[in-house]
Amino acid sequence: MTNSPDERGAELRELFFETSTELLQALNDEALKLEKTPGDEEIVRSIRRTVHTLKGDSAACGLRELSELAHQFEDALSLEGAASHAAVAEIAFSAADVFTEMIAAYRAGTKLPSTKSLSKKIEDLTAAPQASPKGRRTRKAAGAKSGVRKAAGSATDWTEYEKLAMTKAQASGQDVVHVSVKIDPHCAMPIAGRQLVQNAISTMGSVIAVRPDAKSPAATKLIEFVLATVSTAEQIATKCKIPTIVEEVSVEIMLAASTGPARAAEDATAAVAESAEPKTHAPETLAPAGAEASAAPAMVENILRVEAGRIDNVLNLVGELIIGKSMLQQTLQEFSKRYPKDLLRGKFLDAMAFQARVLNDLQRSVMKIRMVPVDQLFRRFPRMVRDVARQCGREVELVVSGHDTDLDKGILDAIAEPLTHLVRNAISHGIEPPDQRRRLGKAAAGTVRLNAYHQGNQVVVEVGDDGRGIDAGKIRAKAIELGLTTAEEAARLNENETLDFIFRPGFSTAEQVTEVSGRGVGMDVVQSVLHRLKATVNVETRVGQGTTFRLKLPLTLAIIKALLFWVEQRLYAIPLNAVMEIARTIESEVHQVDNYEVLQLRNQVLPLLRLGRPAPEGERRGKLFVLVILVGERKYGLIVDQLEGEEELVIKALDDQTFSTDLVSGASILGDGRVVLILNLPAVVDHVAKSRPEDSGHTNSGLLLTHTDRLRIAMSAMSAPTGGTA
Amino acid sequence: MEQFAPVKRSKDGQPVRYLIVDDSVFARKNLARMIETFGGQVAAEAGDGLTAISEFDRTHPDIVLMDITMPQMEGIEAAERIVQQHPEARIVMVSSVGYQENIVAALQRGARHFVQKPVKPEVLYEVIKYVLGEDGAVTAAAGAGA
Repeated sequence: MTNSPDERGAELRELFFETSTELLQALNDEALKLEKTPGDEEIVRSIRRTVHTLKGDSAACGLRELSELAHQFEDALSLEGAASHAAVAEIAFSAADVFTEMIAAYRAGTKLPSTKSLSKKIEDLTAAPQASPKGRRTRKAAGAKSGVRKAAGSATDWTEYEKLAMTKAQASGQDVVHVSVKIDPHCAMPIAGRQLVQNAISTMGSVIAVRPDAKSPAATKLIEFVLATVSTAEQIATKCKIPTIVEEVSVEIMLAASTGPARAAEDATAAVAESAEPKTHAPETLAPAGAEASAAPAMVENILRVEAGRIDNVLNLVGELIIGKSMLQQTLQEFSKRYPKDLLRGKFLDAMAFQARVLNDLQRSVMKIRMVPVDQLFRRFPRMVRDVARQCGREVELVVSGHDTDLDKGILDAIAEPLTHLVRNAISHGIEPPDQRRRLGKAAAGTVRLNAYHQGNQVVVEVGDDGRGIDAGKIRAKAIELGLTTAEEAARLNENETLDFIFRPGFSTAEQVTEVSGRGVGMDVVQSVLHRLKATVNVETRVGQGTTFRLKLPLTLAIIKALLFWVEQRLYAIPLNAVMEIARTIESEVHQVDNYEVLQLRNQVLPLLRLGRPAPEGERRGKLFVLVILVGERKYGLIVDQLEGEEELVIKALDDQTFSTDLVSGASILGDGRVVLILNLPAVVDHVAKSRPEDSGHTNSGLLLTHTDRLRIAMSAMSAPTGGTA
Repeated sequence: MEQFAPVKRSKDGQPVRYLIVDDSVFARKNLARMIETFGGQVAAEAGDGLTAISEFDRTHPDIVLMDITMPQMEGIEAAERIVQQHPEARIVMVSSVGYQENIVAALQRGARHFVQKPVKPEVLYEVIKYVLGEDGAVTAAAGAGA
């Protein structure tokens, strides 16, 4: 990050743009809360804090107009009696909107939007009675400054984020102490010694900062820690005086625990904004924040901002390493066979075991980076629901659950738009106007539910409402009217098939096209996005009671644990977590029920899926392997010829041009260069369920791919860059 | 052999109980002798990681001395598994200098300390006192006077 000042400035701005979304989100959330409990001083204070941070940050980036406007708003909010003013929530909403537009304009380098109306509103607030500025604000800022100076008084420069963490810890009633530990120069294993010191320190409190970095050459001489703790200095010193490793420990208190938590937290934000305000100084202090991420694990979520593409890159490389690992393992096996008595074998095994362990950790860590709680998406909705409900004249309550369900960041971003469409539709099409609801004996306010949960190897995201539901009859009529189907055909369709029409382009049953929805675009967009993600959507609706859309999304881990097996001399894989058990049976145990093959396994009857063709009568080998798999909520038995084993597979995405079946979700390369196809189980099950046995003349005639298909996959998988999603 | 002031368990004044894990019988006996000079007691010995886990479950020792390179299951994995099951377990890794990375890995997985091979009694003694912390008490040996 030692670029020219210009580049640093640009980097800083980028950081601001990213963080500002969070601030604006917070502003929206707070405004919503305030709307529910008008006059709540605590909420008004947190609005002011948010605006204050925005002011400081934007000033640090030289975004003068935004900073001034925020400043004006902040001042208005600190007036006596501002909290009781009914318009505060409304102004906060429009401030959030105007700020968003301004930031977008800064970002795009376009003309700034007009801020007159917002300014006017803020002025009106200022003109409210009892307007006398509080002197408290300036005093407080001064106090905070001296606090930080104390912290900065030590030999080391802490980053802004570390300082923030320090003041926060102080506010929460912990002492912030500076611990320097001198490692004994005679210590034979100083790196392990450093680790031990770190372990010891972290049992005493939470580590805010560590210097120097573990990779630095001086890492094992003198280590400095900043620790938030409730232990005394003596306790810490005793714990750190590790025999034979630590020569000297010194502990000094930087910030003593504060007694008024709320006040201090306020000071903390003020202090940081204050110190970030001088433009020329800010880039040096803010930019290295990302680099310090490893030093302060507790702060990662706040400070590490990395382009998703970079993480994908790392993940792809990890994938390649895993292939490399299995190559090594195979070589080692051959080696062991050839020289069973060679002493080198043991060393090899040791090294391999170590490498495998680290690789495993590496992979897990990278995966974790990609996963984010679905809350990141869900938290946008309260504001949107409020706005849409107003536009449509509905009363809507939003109920959100499962917001801590983890989802791949890429998928999360991709479903943002479809989910927005579904929620808009739920409000404008689903929920009835209040008077109509009352007549129907329902509560005047409708409910929109957002829910997310894990199910098997999928994540399910639900959007539900308790509105009027979808009338299949109307859909049929509309479909016939639009020429999508004929009357005879429509009569034969079952409910699910009928509901599929709503995903057709241009299909809308809304009598009236509104501003919000009903323009007939949307549902087909939903469908196409989900299709691209290899996700599915199903609709559950009851007239008069509501509709639930259920999006079933793949977890898309680019690396999966898989079970490999052979069918007709070809190698396939399925995700290991879908496999419930592996059973052996004989051909004569397979029974025919209604033209489907089933197997009685203990006390349950399993529908069977046959990937290959059944061997002709008479030639049947007696024994069969049956993989019991769980798809959705049902168990199936998958008949395979032979098992190969478990392996970690790096999924190489297959693009639609090379391969047009949905039966396969990806391919992978094994350590020895063989290509294996990964089956998409929901599609396989679907295929068998749909293919009418009587059509094919025989019981499910096998789903095997043709040889040429496989060849093409092999070629594309080899040449294509690894795909993050499958 | 040097004499050390015995370290006892502070809760009941009983000897500290050890599980010694090493694939070399010589190393185990060597450690056992040192431990006895500290006033400790060998609760069990194990020659590989798997046995270490089952012996830990059986005897619940106060301290585990764990070698790193062993057949069946290595010390790091054994230590990790034991700590997963018993977070209170005090595991001290015993290894030669060349295995520094492995020791770092073990420490990250919950081992409490390490000593270097060949083990010096006075070093091990200090390490054990440190690892026991408040749960260990140095008692004036009767007559010996420390």
